[in-house]
Amino acid sequence: MKLAEGLKRISEGWIIKPKGYRVRFQQLVEGELVTEYSPGLEDKPLDSDVTTWRYAWKLSKATQPESETILPGDLVNVTVVDDKDTMVNYYATGKPEIFNSKKK
Amino acid sequence: MNDQVSKFQELGRLMQERGLEMIIALMILIAGLFLTKWAIKALKTVLAKFIKNAATVSIIANSVGVLMLGIVIVASAMEIGAKPGPLIALIMIVVLAVIGVIVVFRPLIPTLPFKVGNTVKIVDLLGKVEATTILNTRVRTFDGKTFFVPNRQILDGIVINYHFTRTRRVKLDVTIRYDQDLLKAKQVIEAVMTEDSRILTKPAPQVYVLELGLNGVKLGGRCWVNNAKYWVTKCELQEKTKLRFDAESIKFAYPQMNVYHRNDLETNHRQENSPEVF
Repeated sequence: MKLAEGLKRISEGWIIKPKGYRVRFQQLVEGELVTEYSPGLEDKPLDSDVTTWRYAWKLSKATQPESETILPGDLVNVTVVDDKDTMVNYYATGKPEIFNSKKK
Repeated sequence: MNDQVSKFQELGRLMQERGLEMIIALMILIAGLFLTKWAIKALKTVLAKFIKNAATVSIIANSVGVLMLGIVIVASAMEIGAKPGPLIALIMIVVLAVIGVIVVFRPLIPTLPFKVGNTVKIVDLLGKVEATTILNTRVRTFDGKTFFVPNRQILDGIVINYHFTRTRRVKLDVTIRYDQDLLKAKQVIEAVMTEDSRILTKPAPQVYVLELGLNGVKLGGRCWVNNAKYWVTKCELQEKTKLRFDAESIKFAYPQMNVYHRNDLETNHRQENSPEVF
C-alpha cells in the first residue's frame, strides 16, 4: 500500500469531521413528543461542538421540567447531533450525554 | 491707495449688478455641501446593510460624493453666469489629471499593509482596523479601546496582519508526568485535534515529544486552522485536552522538587553502614 493510499484510508475511516453541530431536543406538542433542532435544519449549524454543548446545557437548565411529567414548554432529551443527525459524544467525557432525559 | 479704492469701487459695482446671483450661488454651494455630506453618510448606512466590505462601501459612497460635489460646483458657477460647457470640461481635466498622477505615482506612495476590517498587531496593539486617513489609523482593540496610531509609526514598525494568510498554526503544548502513558497521551491529543471540525486535514495534525524536561515530558500538538477561527479553536482545544486527559486519567506534570531532610540522610547512612546481625 502506498503512503498516499494509507493516508486516504485514515481520513476516510478515522477522521470523521462533522460539518456542523445542532442541539436536538424534544417537546410536547398536542400531547406528542416532537423532535426539534436548534439551530433549525434550514439554518446554518454551529461550527464548534464545545459551544453547542454549552448551548445545549443552558437550554436544558432554562427549560428543566419541575415535575416527573413533561409539561408544555419543557425541553427534554436535549443532546448534540452533527449534520447527519448522529449523536455527538460529550467532549468532556468522550461518551454520549443527554440532558433532561425523560421518557413519555 | 487709488488702486485699492478703484478695486473697492469695482467690487461695489459688481455687487450691485450681480449681488443677488452671487448670494444665491453661495447658498447653493453651502446647501450642496451639506446635502453631499448627508447623502454620503446615508448612502454608507444603506450600503453597509447589503455590502459587508467596509472599504467597498466607503469607495462607492465617496465616489457618489465627489460626483455630487462636482454637480453642486457647476450649478453654483452657472448661477453667477458661467457657461456649463467649459466648466464641465475644466472639472473633467482636473479629475483626469488627478487620476493620472495617482496611477503614475502609486507605486512610489507608501501604502499601509492592511485594509479596513483586518485584524492586525501594530505597536503591541492587537485589534481591528476601523479606518485609515492620510495621517493616522484608527484601531479598536478587543477590550474595546480605540487607538489612533500615526501612519509614520506604522510604516516604520513591524505590523502583523492576520488576514494576509488564510490559515494559521495552533500550538497545543502540554507536559505530562514521567510515570504516565506517553503513547496514550499522544493519541488523546491527536484525537482531540483530528476530531475537531475546524482543524484542517492538510497539513494533518501532528504530536511531537518536544522535551524531556525537569518536571515531565513536554508534548506538542500542531495543527492548522482558518485564521478567523484561530482564537476560539485554540481555547477550545485546550479545554478539550484538559477534560479528555482527566477522563483518561492522564496526569499533567507540575513543577516539583524532592527535598531530603538531613536526619533522614544520616539515618539511612547509619543503616547502610551498620553491621548485619544474624
